[in-house]
Amino acid sequence: MSIVQELSRALPKGIVITGEENTRPFECDGLSVYRQKPLAVALPESIEQIKQILKICKANNTPVVTRGAGTGLAGGAMPLEKSIVLGLSKLNKVKSIDAENQLAVVEPGVRNIAISEAVAEYGLYYAPDPSSQIACTIGGNVAENSGGVHCLKYGLTVHNIESLTMLTMDGEELTLSRQDDGMGLLALMNGSEGLLGIMIEITVKLTPTPQLARVVMAAYDSVRDCANAVADIIKAGIIPAGLEMMDKFAIEAAEGFAKVGYPLDAQALLLCELDGSEAQVQAELDIVLKVLSGASTLKVSESEEERLNLWKGRKSAFPAVGRLSPDYYCMDGTIPRRHLADMLDKINELSEKYQLRVANVFHAGDGNLHPLILYDANIPGELERTEEFGTDILKLSVDMGGTITGEHGVGIEKLNAMCHQFNNKELETFHKIKQAFDPDSLLNPGKAVPELHRCAELGAMHVHHGELPHPELERF
Amino acid sequence: MADRIAQLQALVQASSSLHINTEWLDYAGVVEYYPEELVMTVKAGTTIAELKKQLSKNNQSLTFYTKDDDVSIGAVYANGGQDISDSVLGVQIIDGNGEALNFGGQVMKNVAGYDVSRLLVGSKGKLAVITQISFKVLPSTYVGELSAPIKTNNNPALRVEIEQRLKSVFDPKGIFQ
Ligand SMILES: Cc1cc2nc3c(=O)[nH]c(=O)nc-3n(C[C@H](O)[C@H](O)[C@H](O)COP(=O)(O)OP(=O)(O)OC[C@H]3O[C@@H](n4cnc5c(N)ncnc54)[C@H](O)[C@@H]3O)c2cc1C
Repeated sequence: MSIVQELSRALPKGIVITGEENTRPFECDGLSVYRQKPLAVALPESIEQIKQILKICKANNTPVVTRGAGTGLAGGAMPLEKSIVLGLSKLNKVKSIDAENQLAVVEPGVRNIAISEAVAEYGLYYAPDPSSQIACTIGGNVAENSGGVHCLKYGLTVHNIESLTMLTMDGEELTLSRQDDGMGLLALMNGSEGLLGIMIEITVKLTPTPQLARVVMAAYDSVRDCANAVADIIKAGIIPAGLEMMDKFAIEAAEGFAKVGYPLDAQALLLCELDGSEAQVQAELDIVLKVLSGASTLKVSESEEERLNLWKGRKSAFPAVGRLSPDYYCMDGTIPRRHLADMLDKINELSEKYQLRVANVFHAGDGNLHPLILYDANIPGELERTEEFGTDILKLSVDMGGTITGEHGVGIEKLNAMCHQFNNKELETFHKIKQAFDPDSLLNPGKAVPELHRCAELGAMHVHHGELPHPELERF
Repeated sequence: MADRIAQLQALVQASSSLHINTEWLDYAGVVEYYPEELVMTVKAGTTIAELKKQLSKNNQSLTFYTKDDDVSIGAVYANGGQDISDSVLGVQIIDGNGEALNFGGQVMKNVAGYDVSRLLVGSKGKLAVITQISFKVLPSTYVGELSAPIKTNNNPALRVEIEQRLKSVFDPKGIFQ
């Protein structure tokens, strides 16, 4: 009996999905240029069913790719050939809310925004807010250690998880908490990309909804001045609730799409949100307005409606850019803030070199860049050129003292770039950490950490002045 | 500076049993501190008092609780706690094979590779020599009253087993006592 038959027999009807047509929606995540059909998709409705699925997969030595909503941008949830996709979208309940201690216990498949909605009546919300929050799941957020606009002040996912329960490939449960006296296993699970265990229950920390939030929009005639303003705000002792920047191309795209009143003649735009009590916001506002006095346009939201409107452009920047090009590729490097202006210059030079347009929208406060490279996959060679462009940006990020990924993860996408950031001994350590949790390597194997021979081959390739040996072979 | 790391590596390689502490480490000082980055990178033997002195010049503060200003940041890190875990961004270590390794970095957001710099928080000197630590700091006005982190002993068999396996990842010969 095949594993698919075995799974279908063991589980109630409707849990195991098979066949070309039905599994198609699961063949990729948000990085849709890479696709792979799994053997089958299982959508369990209980922890018991997850355990049954794992048991059968283990007995058949079949890899398991855990999936939340599939909004990941690095191929983390892309199926492997001959794998089973374990989709957790049906486990989507907020199980309990402890308003007094500002905690909520949730299932892994609950959507990020659904947590904030469920606790709103207590004057609370879940602070990390990835732009994909209407769709992405808390399990996916933990697995990627996701960030969002408000993470500058309120922390990343890792800072907002109180405890979680995970399953090993053997189906054994382990609960990890912030209070555990021992190694930082809870922190380790954040950003583990489905390779160490399966998160089945998560206790999240909740944050009181601020009394007031106001956003300052500052437009600049020079990208450098705008980038420097970011560091100046922090230098002035202010931690904004959000600090986002857009370049000219992104401003135009966002304005064309959302019509929110961004100045179209600006070279760069800054959105700086301040929140807290009325007095706090006013005090911070006074300082911020002084720091931003060199801006060509300066505007402060006077109402909640106006605030949301100013954010709307930023929040729709991705789809807005998407309208201008058949395809776009989103990068995710992070650099020290003081290098922002230099980085943007370099990206523009690369844009010329590769003859590809790029829009910059990013979490400036964290130094987390999201250059969107515009391309057309139907033009032969353009995807490859785009990926080379992207790799150059990631290498620059590392060389400036930053990292190849701030929040989107490595997945399959950044395996090569990992070779640039880590040496063999470090990569080996990562592989051994996986073995400590998953000795048979059945949880999302091959993702997140490159094999050493891959890095060696890549190193050898560079010796040949960028001329790739075996161009016929597929390379991610 | 790099010499001391090479010396430490040699010491680890030559040892069959080692108890790491600040005097043995003999490696202190601020490596890099840009106030506008809200990040400080220091050698692990640097005292908390020294860190506070540098930070106060820029109206910035540590975001984790410390009982005693005379102890080193390395000791606070190895002892562990949710507050220091939250502020850690990167570490440089020497593992039980004497290899000098780097994990994490000096930026606020970084998800490349497993979060080893937070895994080793609370490792009590039993996994690796921590030589350098980067952590987040904040303008003092954003740091409220700090209190000792709550710690509970919760050691189910599976956790004990995984911790043992992780010990042998970093210290295969079992030299760190
Ligand atoms: C338009 C758009 C905007 C985005 N904006 C942001 C942003 O602002 N910030 C940001 O950080 N990201 C952003 N992302 C990326 C993505 O939304 C996040 O990475 C998100 O956390 C993924 O959640 P998911 O439920 O879709 O996970 P999936 O894509 O399904 O899975 C992601 C990874 O997590 C693993 N996984 C999922 N659930 C579990 C579980 N329960 N246990 C163990 N492993 C699991 C998977 O194996 C995979 O490796 C954006 C994506 C899109 C498409």
